[in-house]
Formats: sequence, C-alpha cells, structure tokens
Amino acid sequence: MKLLSSAEQAVVNKDFGEIWNTKMARNTIIVVPLIMVLFLPVMYLVMIVFIPSEQMNGIDQMMKLLPKEAAYFSVKQGMFYIMTNVVCPMFFLMIPLMASSVSAASSFVGEKERSTIQTLLLTPLSLKSIFKAKVLSCVFLSGITTAISFVVFACVISAGDIFLHMPFFLNWNWLILVLLLAPGITVFGVVFMVLVSGRSKSYMESVQTSGYIVLPLVLLFVGQFTGLFQLNALILLIIAAALLAVDLLLWLVAARSFTPEKLLR
Amino acid sequence: MYAISAKNLTKSYDGKTNALNDLTLTVPQGSVFGFLGPNGAGKTTTVKLFTGLLKPTQGECTVLDLHPVKNPCDVHRVCGVMTETARMYGQLTGLQNLLFFAQTAGMSRDAGSERAAELLKQLDLWDARDKKLSDYSTGMAQRLSLARALVNRPQVLFLDEPTSGLDPESAQTVNSMIAALADNTGTTVFLCTHQLRYAQDICDSYGIIDKGRLIAGGNLEALCNDIGYRVKAAFRLSEGDSLDGFDADNGWWQAELPREEDMPKLLKKVIESGHDVFEARLIKPTLEDVYFGYVEHRGVAQ
Repeated sequence: MKLLSSAEQAVVNKDFGEIWNTKMARNTIIVVPLIMVLFLPVMYLVMIVFIPSEQMNGIDQMMKLLPKEAAYFSVKQGMFYIMTNVVCPMFFLMIPLMASSVSAASSFVGEKERSTIQTLLLTPLSLKSIFKAKVLSCVFLSGITTAISFVVFACVISAGDIFLHMPFFLNWNWLILVLLLAPGITVFGVVFMVLVSGRSKSYMESVQTSGYIVLPLVLLFVGQFTGLFQLNALILLIIAAALLAVDLLLWLVAARSFTPEKLLR
Repeated sequence: MYAISAKNLTKSYDGKTNALNDLTLTVPQGSVFGFLGPNGAGKTTTVKLFTGLLKPTQGECTVLDLHPVKNPCDVHRVCGVMTETARMYGQLTGLQNLLFFAQTAGMSRDAGSERAAELLKQLDLWDARDKKLSDYSTGMAQRLSLARALVNRPQVLFLDEPTSGLDPESAQTVNSMIAALADNTGTTVFLCTHQLRYAQDICDSYGIIDKGRLIAGGNLEALCNDIGYRVKAAFRLSEGDSLDGFDADNGWWQAELPREEDMPKLLKKVIESGHDVFEARLIKPTLEDVYFGYVEHRGVAQ
C-alpha cells in the first residue's frame, strides 16, 4: 500500500519547496540545529577542557546531579556528563520542536496568508488528503533535520568522550529521546500549529505562538538543576507515552478543525 | 439536466444578516450564465457555496447533480473555479503551477505537461512559462489562474471576475476563450462579472443579484420585458421637421416599438407621410440599461 497518492506526493513536494523558500523557516531549520548540536556543545566542551576546574563556580552543586554509575568521574568528566545528559537533551529536543512548528507555520498559516489555501481546497483532493500530505511533509522535513542533527551531535559528543576518556554517551535516556520523544515532539509541533492556524492571521504571529510550547520543555530540563527531580529512562518513557497519546488526540482534533470554513475565515 | 441548480440557498456568516438570501436558480448545461451584481451583493458567496467551500445555512445546491457539501471532491473533479481570492504559488513558475494543479487533479505528468503547454499557448503565456509567478504582472497572473481552472477540462466553469485587471486585449482573449469553450466543448460557464459589455457578448442568460437577493433572471429579452424596456425606433429627419408621438433626443426622433418586427412598417409609414428620412435605426436596450434599471427599481422599491 502506498503511503501517498501521486496527487498527495505533489502537495508534499510543493510544500517542501514552499517551506524552503520561506526565509525564516529555512534559517530556523539550519541555524537552530547548528547552534544546539554543534556550537553550544563544542563551546561547552572547549570550556571544560581549557578552564581549570578550580576556577569554575558551583562545581560541587553540579556534581551532585551525577547518578551513581557516574560517581567515579573526574570533575571535567562529570561536567561533560551533565552537559551531555542534562543540558543537551533540552537543546536537542528544541530542534524537532522548532523545525516542525516553523515548517507547519509556513505550510498551514503561510498558505492561508498567501491566499493559496483556497486554490488548494478547490482541487479534487479531499480535505483528509490535503491534511495528511501537509502534516507528513512537515513531519518528514522535521524528522530529517532531527536525524542529521543527531548524527552531528553524536560526532561532537563522541569526540568529547574520546578526548576525556569517557564511555560512549548513548544510553537508554538518549535512545528514548531520539526514538520516541523527538518524533512525539515533532508531531506535537505540527498539530499544535494546525490548531493555531485557524486563529493566526500571519506566519509571524503563529511562529510567536509556538514560543508557548518551548516553555514546558525548558522547564522540564532546567527543573533538574533544582534537585527536585531527575529525568531517568522510565520518566522519559512515561513522558513519551503521554506525549504520543496527546499527539493522537490533537491529530484528531486538528483534522476535524481542518475545514474550508475555518481555513478561509 | 441542469448543470447548476440552487433551491432556497441561503448563507449567513454571523447568524444575523444573510450574505445570500433564498437563491433559487437553474443553469442549463452548455450555457453561459452571467451573474451580475455590485460588490458585496453575494456573487462570491454563491460561487463558494456551489464549490463546497462554504456550507449553506439553508437550502441546497447541486453541480451536475453532485452535492458540493456531501461530495466536494467529485464537484471539484468536474468543475474549474477561478476567483479573485484563490491565488497560485508565487515561488513556482507558471508551468510548475499548472503541472502541480494537473497532478492534484489526478493527471499523469505527461498528460499534465501537454495540457499545461496547450493552455499556456492559448492564453499567450508560453514565453513566460519559466518565469516565477511572483514576477508575473496582474494580467498574466489572472490568465494563469484561468489556465489553472481549465487544466482538468472542466464540464462546469465558475469564473469570478475573470477579466478584472486585464487590459482590453487580454480581456478580449479571455472572453473569446470562454465563449469558445461553451460553443465547442459544451462547458457550462457561471460568470460573475461587473463588466456588462463583455457579459452581453458572451452570456446566454443572466441573474441579477443585489444585497444577497436575486432580483431578476432570464435572457436579455426576458429581462427587458419584465422591466418594461422595449426596442426603440429612431429616425433622423431634415432640420426643423418633427414626428408626432416621438421624443426628440439629440437630433433623433425616438419612439418605443412593441416588437422589433414592426420597424419596416413604421419606416414605410414615416416616409409615406412625407418626411425626409436621413437615417433610421433600431435601438435595443443593452444589458447595462437593463441592469441599472433593475438596480434603480429595487432601490426605489426599498
């Protein structure tokens, strides 16, 4: 069974081109991952390597965040471990969230803003097909961006691991992050934007709205520094399962709200 | 079979005022129907209802017996729609735009290319086929929209102001194309326009809409009869001469005729009564006369 008909495939191809031609979406898709998986980890790694540990403030507090299996790490190794497992997951998850929401903003709100959605709705494609093709194009684009980002991230962190004589970084947390949470966040970013598209009048307005969904993500990871909780594989698995359930629910709501009357309002 | 029909079609956007009120009309297959009315009269709302972009508040409509609310895809498969608010993709070239819409209509790439080339040539856009739509002039973009509406060889064509923004030459090309479509392929055309002169050239029948209500319908003759506009006989006589029962208008003596066929008899009578007739002509009411007659009449009635 083909996932997409040739007509739906045409919509996907057209959307790829359109998203890529939206300057803000293109910049976000390129610049955000570069900052999150290359620039910040490299900067942090350089800082850990070159700044003497005694000159760093709050090291003792930070080291308390290390789990038992990492208790034997030196200060530098411990700092790098915290960066890899506490800070970087937040940076990494920003990528599917931002990539999916800006591409969905371009695909849904942008099309409405440019008055091309009406033309698309007048084609013999069903609403379901248009919705599916548009959502999949955003999910696919975001998925590719996230996958490439992870490869780059893995190279940077592996280089750090080798340099600091640490074990390979990939653990259950990262596997759940990459295989479950990132796809869940991608779908969430897209369907959230579809829901917002009915109310947003411009592409910029909808992108600004996506800021609201970044906040819980930041709080979740930054909250670990308070010492109140620590994200482990089980918690991440529960969050991922809850997110996938929310995705399914929002998908159904978004698909139902995808009607000509709402889109042309 | 009627290509287009509406029964008591009503649409309200806010639940208080009706943008379209109790519209009942039928358009026979293969005819060109001119839907006339001022801005905000409800023309675009009607097109959106026929094409399933809006759901009626009351009443129903069909296109080739297909229900736009229940089967919008089937309706879109058999009809082409061109409205001022349905734009195409600025970052794609003219040719890419047509290929995209051909593909969404289920055409193969080869068939789509062939059809796109045919339409681009017909609408004088072939040389601009590789230009991005964003670089097209308003008139070119308008013609490309018409090409897009025709890409799937529609049986019914809804055109909302297809010649607005076009220079007279392009407008002529578009109008000839619309007329040829109806004549040669039996396409039914539902044409919303302000341009009454063009409409008179290509339409078989008309509907006049004002403030959401259809105030008149039928062919030009029927519209004239309903409002009491008749053909006039006009004679230019020698200076100082006059005709009893005729009105003087700018050197011409005019009088209404019950029927067009009465003109030869009247002319003979005028000559036989000793008048020197320099010129004689029949003045038929134009669509413009009739349209303004109805709109004024409605204004007075209200």
